[in-house]
Amino acid sequence: MLIEALIAVTFVSAVAVMLAPDKIAGKLAFALSLLPVAGSLWMFGQYDASGNALFEAGTLAFETTAKWITVGPYALNWHVGVDGISMPLVVLSTVLTSLAILSAWTPIQERQSQFYSLMLFMLASLLGVFTALDFFVWFVFWEFVLVPMYFLIGIWGGPRRKYAAIKFFVYTNVASLVMFIGFVALVFALDVNSFDMIAVTSALANDSFATTYGLGAETLKVVAFFAMFFGFAVKVPTVPLHTWLPDAHVQAPTPASVMLAGVLLKMGTYAMLRFNFTMLPGVARDYAVLIAIFAVVSVIYGAMLALAQQDLKRIVAYSSVSSMGYVILGLVAYNVYGLGGATFQMVAHGLISGLMFMCVGVIYNVAHTRMVGDLSGIADKMPVTAAVFVAAAFGYMGLPLMAGFAGEVFIFIGGFQATFPYAQLFTAVAMFGIVVVAGYLLFAMQRVLFGPFSADTDYDIVPAASHDTFAIVVLVLLVIVLGTAPEVFYGMIQDAVNPMVDSFPEATAVLTGGEL
Amino acid sequence: MAVAVEYYLLLSAAVFCTGVFGILTRENALMFLISVELMLNSANINLVAFSHFYGNATGQVFSLFVIALAAAEVAVGLGIILVLYRNFDDVDVTNATTMRW
Amino acid sequence: MAGAFDFTAAVPLLPFAAFLIALLVGHFAPRLLPKGGAIPGILATAGSLLLSAWLALTVSQGTYHTETIYTWVVGQNTFDLHFGVLVDPLSAMMLVIVSLVAFLVHVFSLGYMNDEGETGLPRYYAGLGLFTFSMLAFVVADNLLMAFMFFELVGLCSYLLIGFHFREAGPPSAAKKAFLVTRFGDYFFLIGVVGVLATFGTSRFLAVSEGVESFPHLAEQALLAAQGEGATPEHVAGFLDVVGFEPQTWFAILGLLILGGVIGKSAQFPLHTWLPDAMEGPTPVSALIHAATMVAAGVYLVARMYGFYALLPTVLAIIALVGGFTALFAATMGVVKDELKQVLAYSTISQYGYMMLGLGAGGYIAATFHLMTHAFFKALLFLGAGSVIIAMHHNEDMWDMGGLKEKMPVTYYTFLSGSLALAGIVPFAGFWSKDEVLYEALIYGSGESPILLAGYAMGLLAVFFTGFYTFRMVFLTFHGDARTDTAESPHGVGWNVKFPLVVLGVLAATVGLINMTPVAKLTGEHIEFLKDWLAGPQGSAYANIGYEHYHHLLVDFAGYGANESLGVLVPAAVSLGLALAGAGLAWRLYSVPEPVEHTEKLGGIKTVLYNNYYQDEYQVWLAEGVTLPLARAADTFDQGIIDGVVNGVSSVSLFAGGRIKRIQDGIVTHYAALLTLSLVALLVAFGLLGGWF
Repeated sequence: MLIEALIAVTFVSAVAVMLAPDKIAGKLAFALSLLPVAGSLWMFGQYDASGNALFEAGTLAFETTAKWITVGPYALNWHVGVDGISMPLVVLSTVLTSLAILSAWTPIQERQSQFYSLMLFMLASLLGVFTALDFFVWFVFWEFVLVPMYFLIGIWGGPRRKYAAIKFFVYTNVASLVMFIGFVALVFALDVNSFDMIAVTSALANDSFATTYGLGAETLKVVAFFAMFFGFAVKVPTVPLHTWLPDAHVQAPTPASVMLAGVLLKMGTYAMLRFNFTMLPGVARDYAVLIAIFAVVSVIYGAMLALAQQDLKRIVAYSSVSSMGYVILGLVAYNVYGLGGATFQMVAHGLISGLMFMCVGVIYNVAHTRMVGDLSGIADKMPVTAAVFVAAAFGYMGLPLMAGFAGEVFIFIGGFQATFPYAQLFTAVAMFGIVVVAGYLLFAMQRVLFGPFSADTDYDIVPAASHDTFAIVVLVLLVIVLGTAPEVFYGMIQDAVNPMVDSFPEATAVLTGGEL
Repeated sequence: MAVAVEYYLLLSAAVFCTGVFGILTRENALMFLISVELMLNSANINLVAFSHFYGNATGQVFSLFVIALAAAEVAVGLGIILVLYRNFDDVDVTNATTMRW
Repeated sequence: MAGAFDFTAAVPLLPFAAFLIALLVGHFAPRLLPKGGAIPGILATAGSLLLSAWLALTVSQGTYHTETIYTWVVGQNTFDLHFGVLVDPLSAMMLVIVSLVAFLVHVFSLGYMNDEGETGLPRYYAGLGLFTFSMLAFVVADNLLMAFMFFELVGLCSYLLIGFHFREAGPPSAAKKAFLVTRFGDYFFLIGVVGVLATFGTSRFLAVSEGVESFPHLAEQALLAAQGEGATPEHVAGFLDVVGFEPQTWFAILGLLILGGVIGKSAQFPLHTWLPDAMEGPTPVSALIHAATMVAAGVYLVARMYGFYALLPTVLAIIALVGGFTALFAATMGVVKDELKQVLAYSTISQYGYMMLGLGAGGYIAATFHLMTHAFFKALLFLGAGSVIIAMHHNEDMWDMGGLKEKMPVTYYTFLSGSLALAGIVPFAGFWSKDEVLYEALIYGSGESPILLAGYAMGLLAVFFTGFYTFRMVFLTFHGDARTDTAESPHGVGWNVKFPLVVLGVLAATVGLINMTPVAKLTGEHIEFLKDWLAGPQGSAYANIGYEHYHHLLVDFAGYGANESLGVLVPAAVSLGLALAGAGLAWRLYSVPEPVEHTEKLGGIKTVLYNNYYQDEYQVWLAEGVTLPLARAADTFDQGIIDGVVNGVSSVSLFAGGRIKRIQDGIVTHYAALLTLSLVALLVAFGLLGGWF
């Protein structure tokens, strides 16, 4: 019942904050957000699952099932639980939300109780997304997440907030629709009587189709795969479906950007991992080259776009496109390091991109500009912020002993071991992203942080508020801890991806021979 | 002796077409309302005819519902017409076009 | 009983503690930090030095050590990734060098940074501490992945320390360039690391226990199998099937990829351009990072995994040619520089070229030897330059100096010792090591691998230029008359500057005596101590990382054969003669009271040399003239086409809606008509399709 309690507590907190007066809303929201943090950490401590959530062989942690409704022959059940893939993401969501709330204290001055309430509401929905094991429960939470984000951008955003919010909402909603149709069509074709993801996975593994709409099982699988892939690729986002992201990021207030980059994007790759790659590994394998091309193009093209930007937030936004490309590369590699690295990179990138956005936000709070050309040498005035910014940027570049490196290097190892055609070449090309990312971040740092001080702004550049500093320092420390001891999460992640690899030996057959 | 059900249906169709014709050609809102009533009642005729034909009372019960509904509809309709008249000094439906687009 | 090996991990961790102290105390309670963090740094590096010396002593008794310290990733159904230490003669030697230079640089910094009233000292010492930690950890690394990780971390420290004076415009730019150029090299290195892991399932340099493998050994087995002996290890065979290459080709690709990182870090052509710019950093940093240690990391890495490179003749030839070319290329640029540190920077590039030449030419001992002597004499020269720079109130232009000999004798004589070593004048350290590098290139080149002769020729020519620019620098700085007021009355330097200079000065003069190969060959005396040191024990697993084994690999796999008919005297005399000729020319031109620039005589070459062969220009052009416009074009494409399509979909929807909504004209009659018509149309359609008619 722990998961239900976690979601319920968060939801009640959201309501409580909504009713609280603006003056105390921020502090109350932060205090209440510590409850889910504590809860998720406790869950992490008590975690005892093994194997993958979608395979019947494993055992789930904190699993509960309850009858919900019955539609025709299909039973829609409340079914939640965590395995090694979702557990780290649950922790990531709660921790990042808490820190994002802290980072909202300075910039958010209007309608505060609503703002914090929406943040908590989003967290509750995110927890649902990462724990749900029944498609319909999952889908409800998946759609729920969009609503608070729409309002966060639309109400507290920048000058073009309406455009950005509507673009975000419509784009991701259309994608959800396509994905929904794809999945539901697949389930209706199968010989199952519920939308339970475990049942669907095993039915697909056994190819127990009741009908195939006259398409043939293989065609149906491919169509469903790509419908879902499209739906999730928008969320990730994968080039060329990424253009909502920079607009949303630039217009969103900092805490919303933190959540968007830190957790919301991971929903896309998480769902890809669960639906596309766990349920339909054969299709993923057949179209591995195509998917790898998407991944590599995302990495390189996203990085090139970041290179051309002047707005710090746009830089980080495009570089998220680039980093999430690595995740897809890891998924398509389909071996322990690839899948595990992809999952690890979700967490690592969540922390690091959240950190980057917070750093940019801290600078923006003080300087009221984010343009690279407007600022110079602010390290002189904001030494701690600058130091953390440097640390964050190097984390983003994949500096060893920070989380990003661990994630990336696992993915690269996985990519190199992958057995689809030209996997090594794809991996090597994608790796060039680590040079380009260094290029744009070093350029931005050189111009904004270093050199003689000057600021083309009407505001005094003063050191950041202590709660802002606290938030970014905590994140930097988390990034370093996770980079030094990736086993914290990586052990359970491997435990959860191994059944996937075992279930589809074709992907790794060549390499399982040797003594490792 | 019973009249064959086809005649009722013919009557019903005739009344219905009258109603449709009224709606398509009249500009006076009151005529509109009357035409709608005609159409509703043509449906009633149908219901009652079939009810009789199958010896099943459901249709008749249903027609009672429709009559009640029609009464309510007339009340609402007349209210709208009154408001229409107040705003446009006329009950010509083609004049009241401000609620487009 | 606790032996030295129990404290191996403490060698890097001590400076790490100093880093934490400088960082945390420096931030929260700066007044509690003695000398801005210098004292903890000095204590920590002194501790590391003592421990390293103890380790070296233990190693000299023939006991080596390898141990897994920390398992970074426990692979489930796949291999682990771990941090471990490997203490053998090579790493023990390097540990002593690094911790000694780091210690001396910390002491020197007291004079260069503290006494000069610099601000931000905790940041400086934190950087030095972190650097020393990373470098020492790199040196003891027992696997390639760990080596890569600390290789990157030293790059970070280099970035932070070059950009120490971040309030000025130059240093941040130089720092960025240094990191970016080395990152470019590291990109290839990382592919190589990942490739090694994927191919062999391990990146250990050495395996001593049963059931554990090392990648050079697996590669050796695979190549043996290709020659028909034994079987290819199963995992390697599986991977080669996937990539579809012959083992020889694939290993050469891996070797070249790793070499990319080496070329970046050791500032070899064409990725050398960052090093001269890196001189923007404080001089002690240049001495520690950009001369003695970090730049050596690349060369050290090749030496560390020599068991792999020795299998690959093509890669060895490339290493030798790159090295020989860089040695010559950089030396010619050093000839025209006006600033003291610039001359030293180009000389550093050139000297690392020699080491690469040595490694490529099969001279493992020679290259390692040169690595050691160079670390001492180049650190000495940089620290001497730092002393001069203090005296000159931070003016580095040699044309503003002159006549400093009398005013700063300690600096002069130690600097001279370093210069003689650099130029390769007998009996100073550089002579012995450089001569040995050239000798190895010559004997193998005239033996079985003639391509090495090209490297030899370039290296030999560079000797002349080295002699010339070294003594041009010495004469311009210390001899003649003082050319400016500052040079008339230089600022004095304290003990903390002189002490490191004296220590290194003595080493630069004497350290070459440990491996006097020519003398050994002539007299038959057994005095090649370094060779014995690196030979490796016979009959134990550690033999696989000893020189004897490497030599055997070179002969068996790379086809290296020495031409033993050449004596040792003639080659040595030729290189000494060239060095003396260069020095003599410098003496002729610049050892006069009022020296003038003779560069005009070079004509058009002068412009080319001043502009460093336009290497910077083309690299800047690659970054700003190609990549940036490409990025902008991508941005335009993204905004215009991709986002245009997205916005287009929305515009089309809006436009279509705008048209279609006109149906709703507000006239109820029309709605009714539409309704009726639609119904009729629907009925007709159903009728036709349903076959009602």
